[in-house]
Amino acid sequence: MEVLGGEFSDMSPQELAAPVNTVAEKWKLLPAFLKVKGLVKQHIDSFNYFINVEIKKIMKANEKITSDADPMWYLKYLNIYVGMPDVEESFNVTRPVSPHECRLRDMTYSAPITVDIEYTRGSQRIIRNALPIGRMPIMLRSSNCVLTGKTPMEFSKLNECPLDPGGYFIVKGQEKVILIQEQLSKNRIIVEQDRKGAVGASVTSSTHEKKSRTNMIVKQGRFYLRHNTLSEDAPIAIIFKGMGVESDQEIVQMIGTEEHVMASFAPSLEECQKAQIFTQTQALRYLGNKVRRQRMWGGPKKTKMEEARELLASLILTHVPVKEFNFRAKCIYLAVMVRRVILAQGDNKVDDRDYYGNKRLELAGQLLSLLFEDLFKKFNSELKKIADQIIPKQRAAQFDVVKHMRQDQITNGMVNAISTSTLRVSFHPSLCFNDKVEERGSSVVELLRFVMFVSRRPYIIVKKAVPMVKNKHIEDLSQGYRTFEDFLHEGLVEYLDVNEENDCQIALYEYMINKDTTHLEIEPFTLLGVCAGLIPYPHHNQSPRNTYQCAMGKQAMGTIGYNQRNRIDTLMYLLAYPQRPMVKTKTIELIDFEKLPAGQNATVAVMSYSGYDIEDALVLNKASLDRGFGRCLVYKNAKCTLRRYTNQTFDKVMGPMLDAATRKPIWRHNILDADGICSPGERVENKQVLVNKSMPTVTQTPLEGSTQPGQPQYRDVPISYKGSTDSYIEKVMISSNAEDAFLIKILLRQTRRPEIGDKFSSRHGQKGVCGLIVPQEDMPFCDTGICPDIIMNPHGYPSRMTVGKLIELLAGKAGVLDGRFHYGTAFGGSKVKDVCEDLIRYGYNYQGKDYVTSGITGEPLEAYIYFGPVYYQKLKHMVLDKMHARARGPRAVLTRQPTEGRSRDGGLRLGEMERDCLIGYGASMLLLERLMISSDAFEVDVCGQCGLLGYSGWCHYCKSSCHVSSLRIPYACKLLFQELQSMNIIPRLKLSRYNE
Amino acid sequence: MAGEGEKKAVLEMVQADGADEGCVTFVLHDEDHTLGNSLRYMIMKNVDVEFCGYTITHPSESKINFRIQTRGGVPATEPLRRGLNELNDVCQHVLNTFQAKVNKFKEGQEKPME
Amino acid sequence: MAATMNNVEEIRTRVILGEFGVKNVHTTDFPGNYPGCDDTWDMKKFQRKFSIDIVHLDESSMEFDMVGIDAAIANAFRRILLAEVPTMAVEKVFIYNNTSIVQDEVLAHRLGLIPIKADPRLFEYRNAGEESSEEEGSEIDTIQLQLKIKCSRNPRASKDDSDPRELYLNHMVYSRDIKWVPIGNQADVFGDSSIGPVHDDILIAQLRPGQELDIIMHCVKGIGKDHAKFSPVATASYRLLPEITLLEPVKGEKAERLKRCFSRGVIDLEDVNGKKVAKVANSRLDTCSREVLRHSDLKNVVKLGRVRDHFIYTVESTGILPPEVLVMEAIKVLMAKCQRFLNELDTTDME
Repeated sequence: MEVLGGEFSDMSPQELAAPVNTVAEKWKLLPAFLKVKGLVKQHIDSFNYFINVEIKKIMKANEKITSDADPMWYLKYLNIYVGMPDVEESFNVTRPVSPHECRLRDMTYSAPITVDIEYTRGSQRIIRNALPIGRMPIMLRSSNCVLTGKTPMEFSKLNECPLDPGGYFIVKGQEKVILIQEQLSKNRIIVEQDRKGAVGASVTSSTHEKKSRTNMIVKQGRFYLRHNTLSEDAPIAIIFKGMGVESDQEIVQMIGTEEHVMASFAPSLEECQKAQIFTQTQALRYLGNKVRRQRMWGGPKKTKMEEARELLASLILTHVPVKEFNFRAKCIYLAVMVRRVILAQGDNKVDDRDYYGNKRLELAGQLLSLLFEDLFKKFNSELKKIADQIIPKQRAAQFDVVKHMRQDQITNGMVNAISTSTLRVSFHPSLCFNDKVEERGSSVVELLRFVMFVSRRPYIIVKKAVPMVKNKHIEDLSQGYRTFEDFLHEGLVEYLDVNEENDCQIALYEYMINKDTTHLEIEPFTLLGVCAGLIPYPHHNQSPRNTYQCAMGKQAMGTIGYNQRNRIDTLMYLLAYPQRPMVKTKTIELIDFEKLPAGQNATVAVMSYSGYDIEDALVLNKASLDRGFGRCLVYKNAKCTLRRYTNQTFDKVMGPMLDAATRKPIWRHNILDADGICSPGERVENKQVLVNKSMPTVTQTPLEGSTQPGQPQYRDVPISYKGSTDSYIEKVMISSNAEDAFLIKILLRQTRRPEIGDKFSSRHGQKGVCGLIVPQEDMPFCDTGICPDIIMNPHGYPSRMTVGKLIELLAGKAGVLDGRFHYGTAFGGSKVKDVCEDLIRYGYNYQGKDYVTSGITGEPLEAYIYFGPVYYQKLKHMVLDKMHARARGPRAVLTRQPTEGRSRDGGLRLGEMERDCLIGYGASMLLLERLMISSDAFEVDVCGQCGLLGYSGWCHYCKSSCHVSSLRIPYACKLLFQELQSMNIIPRLKLSRYNE
Repeated sequence: MAGEGEKKAVLEMVQADGADEGCVTFVLHDEDHTLGNSLRYMIMKNVDVEFCGYTITHPSESKINFRIQTRGGVPATEPLRRGLNELNDVCQHVLNTFQAKVNKFKEGQEKPME
Repeated sequence: MAATMNNVEEIRTRVILGEFGVKNVHTTDFPGNYPGCDDTWDMKKFQRKFSIDIVHLDESSMEFDMVGIDAAIANAFRRILLAEVPTMAVEKVFIYNNTSIVQDEVLAHRLGLIPIKADPRLFEYRNAGEESSEEEGSEIDTIQLQLKIKCSRNPRASKDDSDPRELYLNHMVYSRDIKWVPIGNQADVFGDSSIGPVHDDILIAQLRPGQELDIIMHCVKGIGKDHAKFSPVATASYRLLPEITLLEPVKGEKAERLKRCFSRGVIDLEDVNGKKVAKVANSRLDTCSREVLRHSDLKNVVKLGRVRDHFIYTVESTGILPPEVLVMEAIKVLMAKCQRFLNELDTTDME
């Protein structure tokens, strides 16, 4: 961040010339804020809380295991810790591990979970410390990660990128992020309408011990409590009485003494009266009969009344504590619920489930703690089961529970949960309202802004229409005398939560402050998330365009991280010459986009050219491509493991096979080294072998008694390269994975220059494919001799209304002339007027439109051309990966129809709609050809007598060959007939002569 | 002319059926706007030419179709030949002038130095 | 009548820069277009009107005016300069060792773009035949270059140094590290005019101790049409001579404003009876920003035009050949094109 501070020191003149009362550099609070609560800091903090605090609470809540078999036996957890990530080198020898090593070796970056326990063995009481019970995947940059507190230099020693924000896990070598999940707030009264329009209230209570849901419903004007431990809805008044509030007056006073409140509660009291329940005892007896019986083993038998009291104390509204059956607090809470429902009935003021104030966002730590709690309970119940089983049996050795504590259950549970299901890889998980996340098919709009600490945002406090933060404070901040925490402690800045925001007057800018204002926004652009923050001048764009860009920005090629060349990813796209954008935003600086750029500043001419630019297609300059524009590197990997099998055989890698005549390696083995693994730097062609692996034919333990095999037989299972274009071998890694198998990873590389059909996009949701590549001499040129890298069709603008892109071009052009970067920060940035004045100063047209000469005719163009630099991204969809054609090829086994999909060299389907066209047109012979002859034509023998399929001229049903004729039908049709027959349906074909 | 068959064609003449030799499309191989446009200008300057134009057949082909229609039954090869000759002469003149001016400029530069 | 004559003359000789577009962009002086004008080609007339004026010339760039020629031909010269004047450039890169972080293909690409100082006129094109691509080049068509460099720690660096320049040796690979390896009699033929990169400070790669490059390159003759690395110019372009006409006298504050609307030196203010009067001093300096047209009171007092047949060429060489040689080569290329088809016409006629 110190680095950032330096970069921010140059302020644009607009900001310096802001209104009088402005704290001009109040945005400097942001880097300070991010230092404390970074982008993924919330995730990391929540994980830290989990492994340091929450896990201990979970342990406390489940600390004792007892056995039904032996009342004397117990196991008690004293403490629980999560250690530092390590890897087992050999038996019982561990060594700290770095995240990068885990990535390379396909291991899980995890740390042991150890416990201190106290238990009995026989009559002894034993204390054991630091007993491992499983392994916990560790979030990168969390408190237990090896990366915390390291300097950039140390990061590079660990092969880690210092700009990587962390906040993800490495599971089996894959980077996984746990996405934020939103859930309705716990322990909060939510008043809502059911489907019939009746108002009710519900509370989901959650504590470490118990979780339960309590509903309050209204039936015929009477209030009832619904809970899944009660077999039917209980009148609320009886509940009150059961909790010891016997006086009706007291109940009403707790709920409210307003006329209409009393009136609407009266029927409930009446019902209680009718049920003849006046005392606590009567109420408990009544409730006791309604309690759903729970099977309880052992323990003293309880009376129904005791059960009812227990239920009221511990199951209903569990989060309100009840000590020694003092129900006071719970009564008041219940009364509030009733009151909320009554008040809501009148004005229909129900709560909004989707309102963020009624929601909680669950972060990685919380989700993992739920998962761990589950696994830990399962672990304990398993131990209890084992104890119950083993203790009764008399044995020589005494029962020692430690021998039965298995680590794999918790380890696998955690690993599997993170590596599968709802989680996915992504570098910037926090989102904003421009950003839509598709999650499990349904689209969810996530609302996590860029500057936000889980639904709490920092604001500057305003007192008596004066912001508390003064220039002096900011100065102190940039000098380093003051930190963000100091601002909080001194009451200059405070966090507001979504519900608090409703009761505040928040001014966007200083000039909007009036006498009622309570807070001031730090900077309006913080409303946007990371992806939207990269867009210059987003406030000039039509909003869907910004949303598209948010999705598209993730597909842009560029730089992954400083450690990109050390990684062996399954798929990695890099740009050969990435550039920082000419027009940047504050967000770009804050998230270090300039250090990891993903695009190039292209000189764009907005004009029509050649007709190969329709439908958003772009025309590219061939010379620009020759010089490296849009050139990218595609990295893929090939993997192979060498295993040892149960019968003591193992996989082998064989050297290259030599041609008998020439004594040179055969073509397929051309690139292999003597060790049978391809050598770095070689060029691989399709079907050439990368690793010449062979595998024993028998891998199972031979049955007892069978003869011991002498020399095992081997079978070739080479790892060969598949791909229509050649690749180069970048590097070969030989290591071992967690299962102790040999692991060979090969990194393959391709360099691609843009070609027709490759996809490009500006930062304004304006994507387009390359439609034509034109030699430089054909390109139009301006008076200074500049010719464009990209020609873009002007039809892209009117319907998209991406005015931001137009302004980006102007600002970029002025920046190039001035030798500086302009800002396109949302709700701010360099003003168009100032930028255009710069253009004038350098002798360019005010509107950015240049006089341009055609490169073809040499005459000037009749129109002035909008001409200047725009930041363009190359997207990772390239024709090379998509192009596909087939004449003949493989067919599916079952239907004998052509296979599907490019990867299987499949055919292109003539679907229903295409078929309909041909039917409508009457092209019946073409239909026959497409649907049968070119697909799955099949000769069948059909018996004209019985109408069934025969075989080689013989009808098996009629036992004759008299009426058998040969037909050509689709194989799928024949298959259908046979399938129908197998279901006891006989399809019979009726044959008649063609000319009859 | 032995290797004619193997050698790539440089110039082809395409004539519609029944058209006279005043309406010809010349196919100039391995050429583009550079020669096409300058030659078109020179030929357009010819009074005998009724129409002259050219087109690049397809961006992936390196040839141009050069169409000449003449007045009064003049064979189309005539203006083509003349155009090429005149273009050549223009270039020669430009080259000579340029060379002379460069020499003069260099002399002028050397003198003040002395 | 005189007005229309002037009008026709303007359409024929001037390009007009309007507020919303350029007018009279096309050449229209073809025979039959204008009654009373003889537009047939006349070599004498051309030679009389044609002139060249060299404004600036040094070893890497030149500016000259070419007057009295049509855009079609002027453009042909520009196009040939960009795409068809041959030069020598690295075409084949044999990488024996590359342990740097620069990928082989990227390194080869970078090497290809380095301008190589060698007179292309002294070399032949390499046969683009299908005969084995591995074929070794010969002394008449290939230049062999070598880049062999290894980075190591500087033994004399002090311990607490953090500057890579002090810590390492050879950690920056520049074009000056490329050495020419003469083939055959090349050493004798080119002896003194040493062949190698034009600029010696082009950064090729950065190395760290232990990393090394061992590369042999083959340079061949090629043209810019094939790949931009063969283009002999950084850029070659032209603009038309701007012409600014004041339609009525502009005085006082308006004159000041008018002056500010153009590039410096375009408009002069003259003192006439104590009042400042604007006068066009040197319209050549104008960049045609059309700023005047934004002033509603000024836009009708000026006419912005450009002279259709006055080309101000700028040729910026990459340094392989001097710019004036490039221009002459370009003209010769166009003549060769004419000759090629003239020959073809002659041979087909004979058949």
